[in-house]
Amino acid sequence: MVLLKNLRPPTEGVRHEQAETTAVMGGEKLGCGTLYVAETRLSWFDGAGLGFCLEYPTIGLHAISRDVSAYPQEHLYVMVNGKVGDENVAEMAEKADDEEEDDSSSSGGDDDDEDGAITEIRFVPSDKAALESMFSAMCECQALHPDPEDDDSDNDFEGEEYDVEEAEAEHGHADIPTFYTCDEGLSTLTQEGQATLERLEGMLAQSVAQQYHMAGVRTEETNAEFEDGMEVDAAAMEAGQFEDADVEH
Amino acid sequence: MESEGTGFPPSGSGPTEVFNSIRERTIAENSMVVLLQGLQGEVTTVDLRNESSARGRVVNVDAFMNIRLNDVVYRDGRGQVTQLQDLFITGRNVRYVHIPDHMDIMKTIESQLAKIHRVRNFASHGGGRKEYKKNTK
Repeated sequence: MVLLKNLRPPTEGVRHEQAETTAVMGGEKLGCGTLYVAETRLSWFDGAGLGFCLEYPTIGLHAISRDVSAYPQEHLYVMVNGKVGDENVAEMAEKADDEEEDDSSSSGGDDDDEDGAITEIRFVPSDKAALESMFSAMCECQALHPDPEDDDSDNDFEGEEYDVEEAEAEHGHADIPTFYTCDEGLSTLTQEGQATLERLEGMLAQSVAQQYHMAGVRTEETNAEFEDGMEVDAAAMEAGQFEDADVEH
Repeated sequence: MESEGTGFPPSGSGPTEVFNSIRERTIAENSMVVLLQGLQGEVTTVDLRNESSARGRVVNVDAFMNIRLNDVVYRDGRGQVTQLQDLFITGRNVRYVHIPDHMDIMKTIESQLAKIHRVRNFASHGGGRKEYKKNTK
């Protein structure tokens, strides 16, 4: 049995919730419960606190099956890469605390892919008419989790999206995103921007200076500087600039 | 995800799905996915990495090569065949997408890029393709 206790249904980003849904994993009926199609992950709970969740990157495909010769009930079919077993489910629970997928293999890791092992899960709602909404919600959520290992889609626009209309309004011409050259950029900096620039340059200078153990530099706290952004730059080029900054070390 | 508001003329049955984000549009424009997006409405076969295959009508292909098919005949790795009404294949699981013989690949790519440019309304990063007329606002 593949159930994990102490998981809670998601409260945010739930695109679709379907009660009275039986979950069947690898041919084994897990009982009747509620399916949650949330933006972070797909999960199912039987109402007694037991359930499981699936990470979208591990889902290979999903489909609406109305072919009763293949399976007697109309259902939402989900194919998961790899085996959904106790270990994997435990991993998923830990990862539930993290926002992001990290490099360590999730339940659908490469090893499993190469083995070709898959897990078939069927969600059989009592309300067959809901299948299309369930399917669509999963499509939307799946699209939110593109393959992080994909080299081809190089993600030319990581981070903020470039809104052409906005850019046109600001710059008055349609163009690819412009990056300021050094001179242009300096002139457009606000006072705050200027201060930030100088602080960052100071941090750079200091981190280089670290190697030479200059007096006044706190070698242990280099990392802290980058974390909170408010550092004491005793050896900075502009000495004394940050005397009024809070010392948090 | 924001909807762009402008849509392409619907082809085939059901609502046409447009690029949902500027990022997706850019990714698509810079890769061969645009060719797959031109398959919308066509019936074709998708081979998956797990040795199974699905044949059906292409509803949508997004920038991440997630493929949505209608009226699908799905054959699993063991050769077992089932019918599926709607199927969504995660891009990562796609091995091949068959291009129907009757399709002109270059024309499809060009027309897909043209659609992108009409929607986006500015020159591609190639530096200004003058054959695509800019609309004045």
